[in-house]
Amino acid sequence: MITAGIDVGALTAKAVVLDFDTGRPLGRCLMPTGASPEQAGETALAGALEDAGLEADAIQASVATGYGRGAVQGVDWRITEISCHARGAWHLMPEARTVIDLGGQDAKAICLDEAGWPLDFEMNDRCAAGTGRFLEVMAAALDVQLEELGELAASANSAAALSSTCTVFAESEVISLLAENRDVAEIAAGLCETIAQRTMQMTNRLQVRPELVLCGGVALNAGVHRAMERALGMKIVVPPEPQLVGALGAAILAGERAG
Amino acid sequence: MEVGLTSTIPVEIILAAGHTPVDLNNIFVVSPQAAQLVRDAEAAGYPRNACSWVKGIYSTILQHDINTVVVVTQGDCSQMQAMIETLADHDIRFIPFAYPYDRDRAQVKEQMRRLIEALDSDWDAAVAVQERLRPLRAKIARLDEMTWREGTVTGYENHLYQVSCSDFTGDVERFEAEVDGLLQEAFGRTPRSYRARVGFVGVPPIYCNLYQCLEELGLHVAFNEIQRQFTMAPALECDLLTQYQCYTYPYDIFARLEDIATETANRKLEGIIHYVQSFCFRQIYDHILREALDCPVLALEGDRPGGLTGRDKLRLEAFAETLEARR
Ligand SMILES: Nc1ncnc2c1ncn2[C@@H]1O[C@H](COP(=O)(O)OP(=O)(O)OP(=O)(O)O)[C@@H](O)[C@H]1O
Ligand code: SF4
Ligand SMILES: [Mg+2]
Repeated sequence: MITAGIDVGALTAKAVVLDFDTGRPLGRCLMPTGASPEQAGETALAGALEDAGLEADAIQASVATGYGRGAVQGVDWRITEISCHARGAWHLMPEARTVIDLGGQDAKAICLDEAGWPLDFEMNDRCAAGTGRFLEVMAAALDVQLEELGELAASANSAAALSSTCTVFAESEVISLLAENRDVAEIAAGLCETIAQRTMQMTNRLQVRPELVLCGGVALNAGVHRAMERALGMKIVVPPEPQLVGALGAAILAGERAG
Repeated sequence: MEVGLTSTIPVEIILAAGHTPVDLNNIFVVSPQAAQLVRDAEAAGYPRNACSWVKGIYSTILQHDINTVVVVTQGDCSQMQAMIETLADHDIRFIPFAYPYDRDRAQVKEQMRRLIEALDSDWDAAVAVQERLRPLRAKIARLDEMTWREGTVTGYENHLYQVSCSDFTGDVERFEAEVDGLLQEAFGRTPRSYRARVGFVGVPPIYCNLYQCLEELGLHVAFNEIQRQFTMAPALECDLLTQYQCYTYPYDIFARLEDIATETANRKLEGIIHYVQSFCFRQIYDHILREALDCPVLALEGDRPGGLTGRDKLRLEAFAETLEARR
């Protein structure tokens, strides 16, 4: 059976076309969500189909997820990112018992049972501090590329202490640190620390057990990855395509629901 | 005379004195202008980080021209105490009522005696009112049972009728007739199917559409903790004084925990939604609750009156999926 998972996130839309029986992804697509989640979902799916060399009628079951899931037309089911990230991470790593998804706007931590079903979860509330959007704003303030932020942080001898947890205030704090001639690498390291601390606060209520899988776009940031390993005192696995984990999970759930 | 109340108190005493009890929380939260009432309080100087219930009640007192208010000064919260102090310049009579932390019998009795004195009421008359209310409270208990045992009363109806027991909407006879009507109608219903059974614990929600959203998600609310406490139904056979000693809400968390654990088992609840109000000290209890219960607990935080935010809905939907997957 060929299935599709479409994950329309706050910043990016992702689609995965899956050969459900072998568990092998046939095509994938990643693009900015833009102003229309409906359009983004459609375009992402078309992109994944093209990547797979398949026509739309090849899809036998589909699931939409992400904050824009309600806007995506023509899917069989709509399931939250929590369930989809859990399924996707567990598929890639059946030993996974904790999944942390750091996306553009949301951070989520999910505890899984042996069968990969979510037992408990936590989300950041009401604030984008500690998510990808926060890092984007900060990279701009530091005048470095987002992709370089992680390596830059790794090169620092120490991390600048940032007291504020709010995106807006943290930005002004960064600007004052720059004005004090603080090393950019140290500020970058401080930002990664902040993300790790925020994520820790969120996971405090949960029982974080290994293996721990980190996904979502922020998982691509090596500085955050390392800071989180230090904060949690635990090895953290980042799958090869961390941003696609939710869409992959959605495609798997589509196959499971279709039976 | 209308007597406002900021939280559940021995309503029998107000009724025995021939007055009309008015739970200010209920008036505030059902008002179509609820959000404006909160903004009015802020315009009057209330800080952003004060509880919206307190701000709403402040504005409600002024808008409804209520001039006698029983204020729970201990056992509810100190923000209410500060609220009445901001109204010191108005011609409003405040009657304090303090639940003692250790539920000491003599102290509860003394508080009730002082309330009787303040309202020119009478102990025996209050006991007579308690007798009058007993069959009504029993009907509410039946309604609660029909919610969890039979599934013929919805979680929303359960919430609405139980939460109304703090003041019986000001008119005991009319309220009882409404309860009778609902019971009769519900007897003829077939129970609805659902994805999972949940309990609602914590202070009543400030949201207007929470129960509707839960129903749409297929979550059957088979337990409303504090609302059930307001009905005094768990102490149906007790004397008046004991009734207000058994009431769990104003004392420590431990009796509440016991009540929640017992009902979670009884009612076969699969998950608990712990509602917390922004800027409320009761948020700290979330931690104790999680440790004590062995079913999944979702903390839901409400700030201003109105509908659930997209984020709240996502959390609830994911919670429903989690509970369904555990089945
Ligand atoms: N190469 C990269 N290096 C570092 N960070 C990256 C890279 N690519 C993306 N990101 C981060 O990933 C974020 C987007 O993540 P993702 O695509 O998972 O978000 P989303 O699913 O749209 O958001 P949400 O899940 O909150 O709705 C960006 O804000 C950015 O910080
Ligand atoms: S919700 Fe909390 S802070 Fe608000 S009035 Fe009630 S007890 Fe006080
Ligand atoms: Mg996402």
